Amino acid sequence: MTLAANSRTSFPTAAAQRRPSRRLRRAASASTFGISLATLAALIALWFLAAQFGWASPLFLPSPADVLTQVSAVAADGYANGTLLDHTLASLGRIAAALGVGIFVGIPLGLLMGLNRWVKGIFSVPIDLYWGLPPLAYLPLLIIWLGIGETSKIVLLSLSTFAPICFAAQAGVRSVPAERINAALSLGASRLQLFASIILPSALPEILTGLKIAIGAGLSTLVAAELIAAQSGLGYMIMSAANFLATDVVFVGLIVIAVLAFAFTSGMRWLEHRLIPWKGKL
Amino acid sequence: MLRIRDASVTFPASDGQDVHALDHVSLDIPPDSIVVAVGASGCGKSTLLNAIAGFLPLTEGTITLDGREIVAPGGDRGVVFQKDTLLPWANVLDNVALGLKYRGVSRGERYERSRHLLELVGLADFAEKPPYELSGGMRQRVGIARALATDPKILLMDEPFGALDSLTRETMQQLLASVWARTGKQILFITHSIEEALTLGTTIVVMSPRPGRIVARFDADFVRDFAEAGDIGTIQSHPRFIELRQEIRSLIHQPEGARKGTLQ
Repeated sequence: MTLAANSRTSFPTAAAQRRPSRRLRRAASASTFGISLATLAALIALWFLAAQFGWASPLFLPSPADVLTQVSAVAADGYANGTLLDHTLASLGRIAAALGVGIFVGIPLGLLMGLNRWVKGIFSVPIDLYWGLPPLAYLPLLIIWLGIGETSKIVLLSLSTFAPICFAAQAGVRSVPAERINAALSLGASRLQLFASIILPSALPEILTGLKIAIGAGLSTLVAAELIAAQSGLGYMIMSAANFLATDVVFVGLIVIAVLAFAFTSGMRWLEHRLIPWKGKL
Repeated sequence: MLRIRDASVTFPASDGQDVHALDHVSLDIPPDSIVVAVGASGCGKSTLLNAIAGFLPLTEGTITLDGREIVAPGGDRGVVFQKDTLLPWANVLDNVALGLKYRGVSRGERYERSRHLLELVGLADFAEKPPYELSGGMRQRVGIARALATDPKILLMDEPFGALDSLTRETMQQLLASVWARTGKQILFITHSIEEALTLGTTIVVMSPRPGRIVARFDADFVRDFAEAGDIGTIQSHPRFIELRQEIRSLIHQPEGARKGTLQ
């Protein structure tokens, strides 16, 4: 009896049944925000408790208070030849340069590869070949060729951001519905008009997806590269701190990277919302 | 005047047996007429339309529009597709104005003409909406307005109402009849519905598959009454309508061998 009563009360109301799409949408986006926030709060609380009751040695798990102190200390006095801002800017500068190369070379080349058999034939083999390699495997080669300075790092990062953007642009061109092209041609579009008004906007969702992948690939390659050969940057700061078992500074570095990654993701979501509100709708 | 002479389209098939999608079809579409091609799927009616639009090269034969041979897609032939092909990033008005923009018509003029056409198809209030907020029937109306905007010599319609529910479909047929009556455009209309063919066509050509051929043609005049009175019930219960519908139905459903024997 109680079971039956319970299941009846849990039925959706008539109003909710009438608008299943809105209900689903709300379930998918807005309502997770509170849950995620609670999860984050629980994790931080757990960290507090673990430090408070000495579940782990401060050497392995510094207390949140220590980390917070270190944030201001590293920000003001610096660590490993630079303040927190210096290291963050050094890392951001590298990733911005690499994304710039990825966007300004990858998008045009990818579009051309999608449009032209010859361009695709020529470039797809070398890109496929190097894209299969782990970036850290060929970093030593880049250092031998280009030295230990900025150039080798930016080239490494550019290689890791370029391929996903290039592939995405190419896939974007090929995803344009044939009828959309035929419709434009029968409206009298020239080749240039067809490209600018149909192919480029149709490829935009794919390109933005590629950009998201490129940012992820760039961030992971960036930190790895800075761990191996650098005199600045967040990866370098983490590595230096680890060498002196300054776990709290390692945490500072990790938190900054996490915040950066979150900011990039949110930025991309905002960009998608602004540029392609029609995605998946037609 | 659109003139189709001995048009054939052959596709190579994987089993080596070529598919004759269109086999020596000849047809004229004079000004101020609606030619409706009707037939079962695979009878080559869409191939015919795609060839006229220039999306598909002919293997043999010629198609000329006002004496000029058709070799590629062009703005002199407006196409309305079965699936709407509106641009989701542009609002309804910009979608209708697209062809005019390609032609370099100034912003003010192309919006003025597009608004006028939106009025013609009854969507004046939806100019600023994105296409994905419109229903299927409304989107097809935008598609018709877009095809008309550049004032093409002929309108090619490939089962444009095929995906719509029957009530919306009747509204759209009524709309098309009145647009045709007002603009006098020559129209080629593809459908698999015999009722639709008879309601809208001034000429109905019946096509048969494998190879795609015209097996019969009929002249009809129901569309003029339809455009004036707008009562689909009266038209479709007319004795002549019922008679023609029966005749076309038996042509389409005839076994292939028998049809070839009697009509070739």
